[in-house]
Amino acid sequence: MLLELRDVSARYGRIQALHGVDLHVDEGEVVALIGANGAGKTTIMRAVSGLLPVSTGSVIFEGQDITRLRADRRVARGISLSPEGRGIFPGMSVKENLDMGAYTRRDRAGIAADLERMLTLFPRLRERLGQPGGTLSGGEQQMLAVARSLMSRPKVLLLDEPSMGLAPKLIAQIFDIVVEIRRQGTTILLVEQNAHQALWVADRGYVLETGSVVRTGSGEDLLDDSSVKAAYLGVA
Amino acid sequence: MHFSEFWNDIGELTVTGLSQGSIYALFALGYTLVYGLLRLINFAHSEVFMVGSFAAVGTWKALGLDQNSQTPVLPVVLLLLVAALLVAALASGATALLVELVAYRPLRHRNAPPLAFLITAIGASVVLSEFVGILTHRRPQGVPPLVEPRPLVTIAGTQITNLQVGTIALALVAMFGLDVFIHRSRWGRGIRSVSQDPTTAALMGVNRSQVISLVFLLGGLMAGVAAVMYDLKIGGTRYDAGFALGVKAFTAAVLGGIGNLRGALLGGLCLGLAENYGAGVFGTEWHDVVAFALLVVVLMFRPTGLLGESLGRARA
Repeated sequence: MLLELRDVSARYGRIQALHGVDLHVDEGEVVALIGANGAGKTTIMRAVSGLLPVSTGSVIFEGQDITRLRADRRVARGISLSPEGRGIFPGMSVKENLDMGAYTRRDRAGIAADLERMLTLFPRLRERLGQPGGTLSGGEQQMLAVARSLMSRPKVLLLDEPSMGLAPKLIAQIFDIVVEIRRQGTTILLVEQNAHQALWVADRGYVLETGSVVRTGSGEDLLDDSSVKAAYLGVA
Repeated sequence: MHFSEFWNDIGELTVTGLSQGSIYALFALGYTLVYGLLRLINFAHSEVFMVGSFAAVGTWKALGLDQNSQTPVLPVVLLLLVAALLVAALASGATALLVELVAYRPLRHRNAPPLAFLITAIGASVVLSEFVGILTHRRPQGVPPLVEPRPLVTIAGTQITNLQVGTIALALVAMFGLDVFIHRSRWGRGIRSVSQDPTTAALMGVNRSQVISLVFLLGGLMAGVAAVMYDLKIGGTRYDAGFALGVKAFTAAVLGGIGNLRGALLGGLCLGLAENYGAGVFGTEWHDVVAFALLVVVLMFRPTGLLGESLGRARA
């Protein structure tokens, strides 16, 4: 098991956002978290990346308890979040944004090789390399956010709503890239509103409702599940 | 009004203004760097400067020179200047780090409101200046006559002294070095990332506390360099030397656009020029009136300062 959440609860002030969530991600898997707005998907991502302290329970990564580890230290351990809203540094060029992704690394040759790999995976970024991040379109920013997260060479990549606000054609492109990243050997934990496509690319999925896991299974099983269909896939 | 004298003196007023402005600019960097990162006015920065000015005098004293010494030969003078610059920069840098560690960091860890920082900033400033005041019995400390001002070059009939040339050149070199560091190095990228978006910076693995310490240190180093220039220009320092000059440096930072590094340079030079031109036209006693009137006028038309923007957003 690469990543595990054991009975994790978390709160924003007085509002409890997660109620004893248990989930795990194995090496090489793509795992999807689906659920309605406010179900706790993004909260789980924040808890795993260390942005939000958990109130009870523990986060285990590669067999070690990282519950109290600061967010910036988790990056060096191999956890990288591409956040909801993308978090592109607007005043930095595309190149500098990518360099920020490799901030914890010192192996110049490896960084250069990975940069080249990203520019092959996302050719649009090569055309925009010197341009300020703030001037990119939504789709380009999303590609930059994903590429930047990969620049830290994560053991697990957390993707929070990578398709949000994108045109259908771009959404398809993003999911193609998820499949490609996985093929290249990166484990992925994926949060999506777009449940159908997320379950399609995922090995396993968790369905969340008001801060709890209500159903779990393989991507295919969840796609076939009648209650999941009714609630999230828009099929009666 | 003394317009005819003003036109006669304009060359000299310009040079004096630029060299004075260089000191303001270097001093202003500490305010602007910290503000750009934390939206905090570090009032104790004036004392960071003052400590540097004493550190330089202390270095010379330790090497056996006081205000009654003879001017040594040139190579010795250069060594003495380099030694004082190093010691003053390190002393100011260490003071800035200490202020951050004692006065701000504990508040930050408790998510204190901005007003709490303002009060500890003023508190740290008073404690430091009073501490040095008591240690020195509030007496001014004289600087040995290391650099006898004499004309070095003449441009369009205006004589520029060695001290003025040195001050302006050193300020430009220091600011250029800082600019390259912020915009080209990995550490500089870390600073800019935290000032643009602290949460995403943490997701990139940037340690915010380390970045904050680094920014205080850089501001301190620059203030230390400015303090040595000030010592040489004034010929001495006092426990309250930081206060009056700090107000000016802070003004320069706001004038240029606080949070903006190049704004600090521009603001410092403009303020230095405005003061000296004002003194030339209206008489020396109007020096500060003109400087602050300029500030008000500039802010009326450009509320974010001449260059506007902040550390993070500045420059594409």
